[in-house]
Amino acid sequence: MRPRELVSTARVVLCAVVALSGCKTVSPPADRLSQLIAKGRDLFFNETFAGNGRTCGTCHPAENNFTIDPAFIATLPKDNPLFVAEFNPDLKENFENPALMREFGLILENLDGFDDLKNKFVMRGVPHTLGLRTSVQSPGGPRTGWSGDGAPGDGSLRSFATGAVIQHFTKTLNRIPGVDFRLPTGEELDALEAFQLSLGRQQDLALPLRLKGTVPKRGQEIFLDNKLGKCNICHVNAGATANFPGRGSLGNANFNTGVEDLPDQPARLTGKRVPPDDGFRSPGDGTFNIPPLVEAADTGPFFHNNAIETIEGAVGFYDGEAFNNSPAGQALAKIDPNGKGIELDGTQIVAIAAFLRVINVLENIRQSIELLETSRAVSSTERAGLLARAARETDDSIRVLRGGGLHAEAVAHLREARRLEDKAVRSLFFGRRYAQEAIREQKKARAFLVE
Amino acid sequence: MTIRRFVVALVGMSVLLGGGPPAPSAQEMTEQFIPVGQSPGLSGKYTVIGKLQSVNAREQICSVASAVGIVNAKITERTKIWLDRSLLRQPNVKGTIADLKPGLTVEVKPEGHQSGAPSGPAEWIKVQVAASP
Repeated sequence: MRPRELVSTARVVLCAVVALSGCKTVSPPADRLSQLIAKGRDLFFNETFAGNGRTCGTCHPAENNFTIDPAFIATLPKDNPLFVAEFNPDLKENFENPALMREFGLILENLDGFDDLKNKFVMRGVPHTLGLRTSVQSPGGPRTGWSGDGAPGDGSLRSFATGAVIQHFTKTLNRIPGVDFRLPTGEELDALEAFQLSLGRQQDLALPLRLKGTVPKRGQEIFLDNKLGKCNICHVNAGATANFPGRGSLGNANFNTGVEDLPDQPARLTGKRVPPDDGFRSPGDGTFNIPPLVEAADTGPFFHNNAIETIEGAVGFYDGEAFNNSPAGQALAKIDPNGKGIELDGTQIVAIAAFLRVINVLENIRQSIELLETSRAVSSTERAGLLARAARETDDSIRVLRGGGLHAEAVAHLREARRLEDKAVRSLFFGRRYAQEAIREQKKARAFLVE
Repeated sequence: MTIRRFVVALVGMSVLLGGGPPAPSAQEMTEQFIPVGQSPGLSGKYTVIGKLQSVNAREQICSVASAVGIVNAKITERTKIWLDRSLLRQPNVKGTIADLKPGLTVEVKPEGHQSGAPSGPAEWIKVQVAASP
């Protein structure tokens, strides 16, 4: 420790002793919503609903952007409840497909009924739960999950947990309430909904942003060009709502984009049984729900079946035959003066992906700054958790920019922010100061991305 | 405002006001495992719970005596019937119209998303089984 830091430490210790001698331990009462969110957070990560040991956080872990992918799964111990089908004999058959889970992050769902578990199932990725406040509402009622019909009851986000418990938390395939699990109470559903709605963005972007990078800037232009990229038609402001020419705002709509018709889907290449997924309702109409794009770059693999690993590949999908021959592709072709769906070249695909990478990083930086600022105002016990989350967001930012070969200067500042976040976690007395310095580095990084 | 615009606006408003809440996009498959009266966001709001009074197999209509009065539920080819055996600690299973017996407690979800619908096609019917059938 340097002499200057030693003196500062002594000052802090002295102040702390003086402050503690007169302090009261009672915190100010949190408002009702904060309490509800806190209760929801506790339920989300700790409540097993008397089931097989899984919690909501098993498949939606905070440390991996509330989703799972093969890389994250590979870090889990083998007794993690995600792998319950591997060690609980009652769930060994027809509950999950462990091989597809580990290799592709796929989860088994019985969306067309539970009467033929061996043959009636679909394999789906786990959607993240960020930005739900912007992505669930639709003129046709709330839309949840990959096909928009993920929740029982009234189909709302509030009801989603009930269906998840029945599908994923059960001790046996009998799925008897009160025996294999307990259903969430009304109060618990309220709390879980409040917590989920608190995650991530609370509003959509307002595009165009004044981006600085040459390629991301061009990517944004193509994204917004309804005659070229056409992305903004179904992902208004890179969110999860559609505004189809001639039909107006459709909210969080469903479309059949032909993902199921992709050749060489990774899960099917294994030779394992992967029945077709018919999407919305039962029997399905082949449509799937629009996911938000702001969070996309660090939450792959992409699409309901985790068919594509990279964000560039996901954008490239829309230039392919599966999309252009699909009902959604055909609908775009109908409103195109030249009768085309989406036709892009390699450079344009990469440019759109670069734009998506940058808006993802801007959101990560926003979250990091928010977490760092909050960490400066709370006790040291709470601070560690918030700083760890900020560090994870920073890691994502670095990974997402580097993955696209973008904004090397911003990456350098993010690295410095990351170093300071680590120091803030470790430091007994200067955590707040390091957090403040990390905020400064985050802002410097942001200044390289957007005006 | 021209008369035409006024009429268009009036019609638009009546559609909005009279349309009621939008139909849900609920996932019906897990609904089977939710006991009578516990369907989140539906039970007590958009469903009717009561005793089966009579069943007309020919007309495919069952009458339910509920707190809001007699409800006549039409059983269509789309109507799902489930036997709620959770009180017996047994799995809930699919049922048929033959399982609808007067005196049993049932929960009826009308098609669409309308509260207080006195009669009409049922989206699903849950039959509470209190003893082994």
